[in-house]
Amino acid sequence: MPTADRVRTTLTSSDPDTPLWRASQAFRLITLVYAISYQAATVDNYVNPRLSWVLVALMAVWSGASALVLSRATLPRWQVVLADQVIVIALMASTRLVADYDWYSTRQTLPTTLWATNAVISAAILWGPRGGIASGVVMSVVSALVRDRFDLDLWSDATAPVLLSAGLALGLASNTARRSHEELRRAARSAAITEERERLARQVHDGVLQVLALVRRRGLEIGGPAAELAELAGEQEVALRVLISEQAVPRSEHPGSIVDVRALLNTQASTAVSVSTPADPVLVESHVARELAAVVATALSNVELHAGAEARAYVLLEDVDGELIVSIRDDGQGIPAGRLAAAEAEGRMGVSKSILGRVESLGGTAILDTNEGEGTEWEIRVPRAGGPA
Amino acid sequence: MTEDENAHSEIAVMVVDDHPMWRDGVARDLDAAGFRVVATADGVAAAGRRARATTPDVVLMDMHLPDGNGADATVAVLEASPETKILVLSASAERSDVLDAIKAGATGYLVKSASAEELFDAVRATSAGQAVFTPGLAGLVLGEFRRMSSSPEPESDTRPTLTDRETEVLRLVAKGLSAKQIATRLTLSHRTVENHVQATLRKLQLANRVELTRYVIEKGL
Repeated sequence: MPTADRVRTTLTSSDPDTPLWRASQAFRLITLVYAISYQAATVDNYVNPRLSWVLVALMAVWSGASALVLSRATLPRWQVVLADQVIVIALMASTRLVADYDWYSTRQTLPTTLWATNAVISAAILWGPRGGIASGVVMSVVSALVRDRFDLDLWSDATAPVLLSAGLALGLASNTARRSHEELRRAARSAAITEERERLARQVHDGVLQVLALVRRRGLEIGGPAAELAELAGEQEVALRVLISEQAVPRSEHPGSIVDVRALLNTQASTAVSVSTPADPVLVESHVARELAAVVATALSNVELHAGAEARAYVLLEDVDGELIVSIRDDGQGIPAGRLAAAEAEGRMGVSKSILGRVESLGGTAILDTNEGEGTEWEIRVPRAGGPA
Repeated sequence: MTEDENAHSEIAVMVVDDHPMWRDGVARDLDAAGFRVVATADGVAAAGRRARATTPDVVLMDMHLPDGNGADATVAVLEASPETKILVLSASAERSDVLDAIKAGATGYLVKSASAEELFDAVRATSAGQAVFTPGLAGLVLGEFRRMSSSPEPESDTRPTLTDRETEVLRLVAKGLSAKQIATRLTLSHRTVENHVQATLRKLQLANRVELTRYVIEKGL
């Protein structure tokens, strides 16, 4: 399965957040440049300029190191992000060692300034919107504590709103990236399965099915013992087709997942049963598809039991204006008028009850039309509510 | 019987299939039944070439060919010999392929497991300009018209749609009723039922051209 493997490796080798991590490290470096410029422009006002340069150097080293590690994921990212939180808080707290009250109570924390946002962004990408907002709250509180500003004067100081909204926005972006990555992965997987199934179907078709069909046809013409071989070839031909179409149905799907009901009905085709469907997938929730398939199987087994050896059955699936219509018709001997009612009166209504019960549980209707000598015809109508519009 | 065979000998058939055993077997059967097998071909290119040289009445078309599919080959044959009728003969559930071939101009579809007699009838009917429908093909065509009518594109009202009667007839074909049974059930003449079935194919091919034209215009090709 070269295609399936290729798709899977390209998707798992890059994790969904990598582009976000790379972009956020660019932001880290830009904010570092801003913080250093701020330092250079205002260092003359500090009480401890030498220490302030040491702290700026620390900030620059951490920026470089964390940017490398986070964008390449060489260490588990949660360790780096946790360290990021601690280091940013410590650096913000260091403001008090560097500047006097008059300075820090009216200005940004030092040496971090805008750079402090990086802790919030990292938390948001790693832990989603909740993590982002939590980190935003912590950083806002630390900033207020350090600067001794609890007046919440949001008009002159936008620190808290900026930190919180950055945390929320990046957290949401990260969630979206993860979700779409997961969807893409699932779609690629199902495309690979379909492609593989089609490849197999083509190969089986080109060889085995052709030969079996030929053996069946010639054998029936020759007759005698060859007719027996023809029957066997015909049975195997049907078994192979069923095998091929069964692969279309995922074996373990989540409840509520969407499946193509055609695949389930096609498995019931045989030399005596024709199944007609649209060319495009008919997508419904898996339990609806399963119930419909069970209804068809029940009706068909009834045909086999009661319609006579020569009877053929025809299944038609239609997808009309939000409704699925499944018709199951046979050209057998039919049910004499009154026999159904008689059976019901005796409490022997297995078939109809099973079919009606299932269809009603799906919110649909089932109508049986039969007359002696004219076969039977079920028409099942089921709303596709729950499936995609 | 003799009259029948005379009628056959006028029908020139080409068999397109890449599987030699199948191709030769079908050609031999047709020959034995009195049809005139004028050519066989194992691919799209060969089918086009030989159709030009022999202008067969009917082409039996396989869906899987080494250099393309049955829809490609249908286009190639009809380009080379526009009067030729195409009958798709396909082994299994290659559903959208079959629909593509029908849209490209094939007028019938038969499964390969059909009996020799069914095959001969289908070739005769195809040659006479009738559409050969299996229940499976009727289901495909019904589904296709419903897909088109539910598509949100504004141009969809310029596309042909089926009349209620045509839909009714197609549904009965899909449920396995013969033209005769349908005629009885709807109290129509056999001929009228055949006309309805043929009309659906013509409309499908027309709809395909409308879609193609729109596609070409949209892409600025």
